[in-house]
Amino acid sequence: MAFFDLSGKHALVTGATGPMQRAFAIALAEAGADVSLTTSTTEMAEEVQANSILNECWSIGCRGEAVTVPLADEAALETAVADIEVRIAPIDILVNASHVAPVGPFLDTSSDDGTALFNSNVATVLSPTRVVGRRMVERGSGRIVNLASILHDRGVPNTALYAASQGAIVAFTKALGIEWIRSGVTVNALGLGFTEELAGPQHDPELHAALERYIPLRRLANAEDLQGALVYLVSDEAGFVASELLVVDGAITAHG
Amino acid sequence: MPILDRFDLTGRTAIVTGAGSNLGREMSLALAAAGADIVGAGRRLEPLEETGAMVREHDRQFLARPTDVTSSEDVNGLVADAIAEFGTIDILVNNAGGGSAGRGKTLPELTDEDWHAGIDTNLTSAFFCSRAIVEHFVEHGFGRIINVTSGWGYRGQRHRFMYPISKAGVISLTKALAMSYARDGVRSTCIAPGAFPHEMTDEVNNRAGLQPAGRFGRLEEIGPLAVFLASDAADYMSGETVLIDGGAIAAGLTPAGMVPTIEEGA
Repeated sequence: MAFFDLSGKHALVTGATGPMQRAFAIALAEAGADVSLTTSTTEMAEEVQANSILNECWSIGCRGEAVTVPLADEAALETAVADIEVRIAPIDILVNASHVAPVGPFLDTSSDDGTALFNSNVATVLSPTRVVGRRMVERGSGRIVNLASILHDRGVPNTALYAASQGAIVAFTKALGIEWIRSGVTVNALGLGFTEELAGPQHDPELHAALERYIPLRRLANAEDLQGALVYLVSDEAGFVASELLVVDGAITAHG
Repeated sequence: MPILDRFDLTGRTAIVTGAGSNLGREMSLALAAAGADIVGAGRRLEPLEETGAMVREHDRQFLARPTDVTSSEDVNGLVADAIAEFGTIDILVNNAGGGSAGRGKTLPELTDEDWHAGIDTNLTSAFFCSRAIVEHFVEHGFGRIINVTSGWGYRGQRHRFMYPISKAGVISLTKALAMSYARDGVRSTCIAPGAFPHEMTDEVNNRAGLQPAGRFGRLEEIGPLAVFLASDAADYMSGETVLIDGGAIAAGLTPAGMVPTIEEGA
């Protein structure tokens, strides 16, 4: 393929514990990148999942490591990133893929729930971006991609906290993308519609069925649907794409 | 299928309007580099042939088809000729356009002819080409329409009417096509280029500081986005407009002097 070759790049995918993050890691590896992964806890299930993803990447031929580090603990993150850059290579690509999507009436949530959600969805973007991004800015090149649901500007009931966290990520992406644009580091977001692989309101059976009728392309997204947009955004070819929310949503937002 | 293979366009054929120069030529060359054969439409034959020679360097076929894209008769002929030559057309890039109509005039000075010329060049052309080919796409259950708008499709500009209005119309056309043919394997997307000067003169480069990126887009940066949108890797995208503008729309305030403060070369 004439375009989008990521050979010689080192990508870090955070929150690498689910099928969406697996699809991102595999796509980056298939495009030629070395891929490293982070998990946040030492829970057995998370580590097993991360190692399974890493094994798949290795079988494609890339190098990379899985590290366990709480993403909002910047001191720990600093050490982990420094180590991995020594052992593998400087990180050229950061995919902030840690993502949770709790659903429920706003009045049933507490202030602690709000703080916890922003810690899970926003702090996990801000801190790795600060730690890895500082290195990218110093080196004068880098690609950062955040995940952001289209629910940041769709009014869907019972998603208010989640929508707020997604709005924060979109706003962060746009502002930081401009702040760093002259440093050779691009910051963009991958806009998600309703996906089979991530948590969210779509897993309610009735809503799932309704969405299959409502989404113009007549199905929810699979993780594979997002691989192309991710690889495009992190490629050298996308150097003039910055502060962009690239939406891959089966045409939902075309309809409104 | 491995991701890089999903970007491959081998066996596909694309009609590109405005293929004789600038972004249209660049997109033609990138689509050809990714494996597609090209039907180049444009007003004059000679520039199309120049693009054709470059496409053939990628070992792809090229049909030069001079076309007035503001004439539905001529556009219908373009599509018929393309299908006659290649059998199947898979991709339509509605790139032809321009901003010269009525330039420099205030609203009361703009004539009916200025209005129609500006709207026809940028919007009617894309509508005619899409209308002419969509049944062919539906028949074989596959089609990619890639429209080209502009940052001006999002912005207002003093004493500019037809260009921004027609480019906003192109964004809307993209959504209408996406909704109308979502069940037929047809995808409709749109590229919104920021400032991509035709040539980098000293005068042009002196204005680069007004861009958030500190530079203009380079012609070779447009083609890969068209390749991505035309490919199977973008199968779940439709109705969407992708900005490739060095952050110009997101920055918004940059013309007011809110440029990044990072030192040049830092």
